[in-house]
Amino acid sequence: MKVAYFSPMPPEQTGIADYSALLLPELRERIDVTVARRGARKPPRGTDVSLYHVGNNPDAHAWIVDALRRAPGVVVLHDFVLHHLVAGMTVGRRDGHGYLDLMEREHGVVGRLLGHGVLDKRIPPLWESRPEDFSLATFVLEHATGLIVHSRYVRDRARAAGFEGPISVVPHPAWPAPTVSPERRASGVVVGCFGVVNASKRIPELLRATANVRHEHPELTLLLVGLTSPGFDLDRRLQRLGLADDGLAREGWVDESRLWALMAGSDVLVNLRHPTMGETSGSVIRGLSLGKPLVVSDVGWFSELPGDVALKVAPDDAEVETLTAALELLAARADVRAAMGAAAADLALREHGVGRVADLYASALESAVGGGAVDDAVLREVSEAAADVGISANSAEAREIARRLAEVELG
Amino acid sequence: MRIAVLRPQVPFARGGAEIFTDRLVHELRARDHDADLVSVPFKWYPGARVLTQAFLWRMLDLDEADGRTIDLVVATKFPSYLVRHADKRVWLVHQFRQAYELDGTPLGQFGDSPEDRALRRKVQELDRVALGEASRLYTTSRNVASRLESSTGLAAEVLPHPPQELDYHCQGYEDFVLSVNRLDRAKRIDLLLEAAARDAGLEVVITGDGPDRERLERLAHDRGLNGRARFTGRVSEAELADLYARCLAVYYAPVDEDYGMVPLEAFLSEKPVLTTTDAGGPLEVVSDHATGLVVAPDADEIARALGWLREHRDEAASFGRAGNAIAREVTWDRAIGRLLA
Repeated sequence: MKVAYFSPMPPEQTGIADYSALLLPELRERIDVTVARRGARKPPRGTDVSLYHVGNNPDAHAWIVDALRRAPGVVVLHDFVLHHLVAGMTVGRRDGHGYLDLMEREHGVVGRLLGHGVLDKRIPPLWESRPEDFSLATFVLEHATGLIVHSRYVRDRARAAGFEGPISVVPHPAWPAPTVSPERRASGVVVGCFGVVNASKRIPELLRATANVRHEHPELTLLLVGLTSPGFDLDRRLQRLGLADDGLAREGWVDESRLWALMAGSDVLVNLRHPTMGETSGSVIRGLSLGKPLVVSDVGWFSELPGDVALKVAPDDAEVETLTAALELLAARADVRAAMGAAAADLALREHGVGRVADLYASALESAVGGGAVDDAVLREVSEAAADVGISANSAEAREIARRLAEVELG
Repeated sequence: MRIAVLRPQVPFARGGAEIFTDRLVHELRARDHDADLVSVPFKWYPGARVLTQAFLWRMLDLDEADGRTIDLVVATKFPSYLVRHADKRVWLVHQFRQAYELDGTPLGQFGDSPEDRALRRKVQELDRVALGEASRLYTTSRNVASRLESSTGLAAEVLPHPPQELDYHCQGYEDFVLSVNRLDRAKRIDLLLEAAARDAGLEVVITGDGPDRERLERLAHDRGLNGRARFTGRVSEAELADLYARCLAVYYAPVDEDYGMVPLEAFLSEKPVLTTTDAGGPLEVVSDHATGLVVAPDADEIARALGWLREHRDEAASFGRAGNAIAREVTWDRAIGRLLA
């Protein structure tokens, strides 16, 4: 089977480029893969199936979706919410009508009117203010012959959006933990939080919870690593909570090796967000590989992490209290941290091992190419046998047969 | 308890799985359970027939029979575990191996066409769904459990079972090496014949029948083994017990076997087992220079090892006795106790 592989690749600095760099060597041991050059408009001759990695960043993925729209294939949906991507491929190309049409298709007349509001600059861009309410995923789903997703959450949202093709839930592959010297930024318990610093990563709530925990556990230090989003006034918040001089370690953007070292030097990793765009987190995956206990938001993919590796915090009215309790538990109990860390490392090997992930990719691609013919053959034989004994197409018996076939994902 | 033991049946074929399930029903009844065997024919070719024949199991209603509840079902091998039941226990003999480790080998079934590749994936998907429904999941060996976990991510408890009931005993160590197997290529009887061709002192008795018999008999003839390689065909239980009782050692070297009753049968007769490093399940009980010999799957190595046993009969007997102690630990009381726990 020949697969054309459309993805950002290193040296592009995106999580999906790193992901493909990790996956490709293993995938090539199983199937014949040709990586499409950036900007390619169609797959090479002789391709059996094209695989398109789609995320929400138009700079990285617009060319891939352009190719998908010319030659349908299997889509790896890294985010479910694609509003930013779609805006870049419509409004960003002076195709306001395309944007309005899509808003109307997904959200009716109200969607179209909101789209007009955006184009006329009467309301803030929806891809910045409310993307989670307007995914615009149909722009991609309507051209996908199959989907590979990383969570049941995205699978269910794709189904709810009307996608009827095959969907394979494949774990995000885990990078093997490199041999780095842990870089510890404090002597007590270090809680590491890696990624962009802004409100949707629940940094305000994390800072308040940290301040709460430090009343009982002054030895706890919060390590924030990542760029601060424009408009997010971190310094003022730190001063207000008394974290400006003590209890906080700060790093901006760090390179990959330093990232691993700082993670390895943390005792607990926190990764919160709300709303979710259906994404996974490369930081969480790295944390699993390092065998670190995790605290995550109880949303989307993060909700599906096993309870023995991650404490989950719902983004509700009690978010700060729940987060405080989780951090207090992990600050006080080295045994709990050790047990969760061991479970995390085990999960990374067992569930997220890149060999296993490559197997599941090969399976999904083989099913996408030949699965339709197999389904047809099964349905033909079963329906002929049913008809031979007088079971008509719309009878209760036929519905029972169809139900049983669906239970075991046949036909 | 009312228990249905589920067995796919290939008409006119009988092997280890049939012996196992017959015996399981017998042992359950002996413990006052109302047990019965439920059998459905299975044909796995051509094309999508493997799926449609498997699907027959999904249409069965085994919640009750004749107005009385069936408390639990025990499924044994593909595709019997597709059945629906509130208490579906799977005691896995093996998955449909052509879709897994045999794929791409001469023993595989699926070709390179897109349809065949997708068909194989469908079989795997069926396994994930149907085995995932099981209330308890056991395998007959560590080898089967390990394959299951690597292919589906499902963890199973290892639950070995005793071999068939025979009048096991030891009547000494005569000169011949015994092979007890269905005669098909995966059992690699040809390696034993090639070993005999290299060692003029080696006599072999080959029991069983199967599709590879004609080729093997021709090979024995071509290698000039007439008189030193005897094909008995199927033998009675009494004859088999007698052959076990008298042989020097038992040869058992299939490719990545699931479990293999033969080593346990040999051990119950106090006989050492010669197996190969790639035999799979047998390696869970056959240890080199402890309960037998383990060598590379190579005729020269096998000839050398069998020659060594012939010249070291005390050690051969000692290996057999060590194996006997292992085999005696595998009892139906223990197996059924855990199965129904």
